[in-house]
Amino acid sequence: MVPLLYFQLLGAALFGIGLYGVLARRSAVLIVLSIELMLNAVNINLIAAASYLNGIGRFDAFDGQIIAIFVITVAAAEVGLAFAIILRMYRNRGTVNVDEINILKW
Amino acid sequence: METGLTTNLHLLTPEFALTALAFLVFTVDLFLPERSKEWLAGLSVVSLVAVMVVALVMRPAGSVELYGGLIVVDDFGLFFKIFFLGIGVGIIALSWEYARDRLQHRGEFYGLLLFSILGMNLLAMSRELLTAYISLELLSFSLYVMVAYGLREARSNEAGIKYIIIGALSSAIMLYGLSNIYAALGTTYFVGISEELASPAAASPVLWIGVALLVVGLGFKLSAVPFHMWAPDAYEGAPLPVTAYLAIGSKAAAFALTLRLFAEAIIPAVNLWGEWQLVIAVLAAITMLLGNLVALAQRNLKRLMAYSSIGHVGYALAGVAVLGSDFALAAKGVIFYLVVYAVTNLVVFAGITAYYNREGKDDIADLAGLADRQPFTAAAIAIGLFSLAGLPIFAGFTAKFYLFAAVADGGMLWLAGVAIFTSLVSLYYYLQVMRQMYIESPAHDTHNAAAHQAHDEHDDIHQHAVHDEPPAPPMPRPSWLLAGTMGVGLLVVTWLGVYPRPLLGLIEMASKAIVPLG
Repeated sequence: MVPLLYFQLLGAALFGIGLYGVLARRSAVLIVLSIELMLNAVNINLIAAASYLNGIGRFDAFDGQIIAIFVITVAAAEVGLAFAIILRMYRNRGTVNVDEINILKW
Repeated sequence: METGLTTNLHLLTPEFALTALAFLVFTVDLFLPERSKEWLAGLSVVSLVAVMVVALVMRPAGSVELYGGLIVVDDFGLFFKIFFLGIGVGIIALSWEYARDRLQHRGEFYGLLLFSILGMNLLAMSRELLTAYISLELLSFSLYVMVAYGLREARSNEAGIKYIIIGALSSAIMLYGLSNIYAALGTTYFVGISEELASPAAASPVLWIGVALLVVGLGFKLSAVPFHMWAPDAYEGAPLPVTAYLAIGSKAAAFALTLRLFAEAIIPAVNLWGEWQLVIAVLAAITMLLGNLVALAQRNLKRLMAYSSIGHVGYALAGVAVLGSDFALAAKGVIFYLVVYAVTNLVVFAGITAYYNREGKDDIADLAGLADRQPFTAAAIAIGLFSLAGLPIFAGFTAKFYLFAAVADGGMLWLAGVAIFTSLVSLYYYLQVMRQMYIESPAHDTHNAAAHQAHDEHDDIHQHAVHDEPPAPPMPRPSWLLAGTMGVGLLVVTWLGVYPRPLLGLIEMASKAIVPLG
């Protein structure tokens, strides 16, 4: 059996890549995509932890899978909402580049 | 303690009713002609009040768990439910005229407001991390749409984009924390977390990362300082009633979750790592300092209120930091502070909205001479700001007194000192607004506000003596609804400042419901 730690490292790496994407990307669409990556890291973490807990005899522990399903659902809704607002921005200003979205500052 | 999934389901009637009514508002909106959408505001107010009554009538004795412990119906939840529903009524009163004149699709606005209040209510009742997260998202999603409600306004769009990106990022961080806590402890129930935390065997890097990221995620939602950067932009770009709602509602809801989370999950386990208090205290201190100091430099009224609200989050966080010492005292201080802050902010925002509805401007310099043109609005804003600054007679003073006393009592005298110092700083920028309203003359400002700003320090003496400008035209009266909101709000602010005992009694009852076991 693959140890839990490997999955957690994979999750942490994915989370880090997503966080880097949020900070480094210029396009609002790609930033949302990076946030999705972070949420998938969460899902890997949850499911690995749930099956690990099952493995050590806590058979009632499928909370992890259930939470993962909720996370997927909420993430889908979030992306829909974010893209709707980004689309609005694009129609009004003709750009989705977050560097150019700078009317409001300080 | 074994509860089936459907036992006591009737206790959730207020929430089911609120859901149904929110859908009803959306449905009715489809069939109403544009000119009679006002009815939806009325329908929303009626449903909020009805839900309030139902919640009060159905109050159970003690606390009752539902869905196997995911949700609990207790006095703490009930208090916050009434509080949130009241905020909803206030925001609808605030937004009625604004929505009619300046918002498109205003039927959906009220529906979203009801859904966000549903999210807040569930947040105050949830006793498990995933449930809390879903409720928080229900609240946040409605707020994202409401912030971006000005369809063709670039400012509103921009605020919406910034808010949703940072909001989604913060919930991803919070979820990652949740997943680590689950991996380390095998449970996401608050009670389970506190039980697992109490055993020293639980300590592991994964657990610390989890708890830390959870606090970071909460920090984003509260707009505590290192995580505050979305707040000023979202506040400034959002339509004014939504700014008020962000400042009042979302803050109060996030604090309801924070209080319950700390009381039921974290404080019972302080023997594992006592220094968590210091972390929260430092967070509170920098939040107070930065929020209040940056507010000094603001020109825009909404942005000023954003930084001021960050400062106020700092005060309330200071109360959270001492929850571990004397829970009852600190929790009472924080909840009372939240209520007072909400009522006072409602008055201030009602005043600003009354001004904005007539003039369509929201810079501080635009308020010049408001006292001559519209005395009541100016007086309401001034009294509200005095209360926010914490001057006696008004509720702000009493609330700060209780809160800071609790902080000092909890052994964090330095934190209380920082709080008092920053309160003085806040008085300075609140007085700037009042100076514009009461001392500056309006005509002077209309064309060169920027140049005026530079040397107005030694200017205003001459101004009245030398220039004898014709008085600005009086502003049309604020609508009866806004004037009524301001009037009632001012009465409550004064009443709570002079005689807070009845409310404190209720708050004590509420905070008893979540008192930690340890």
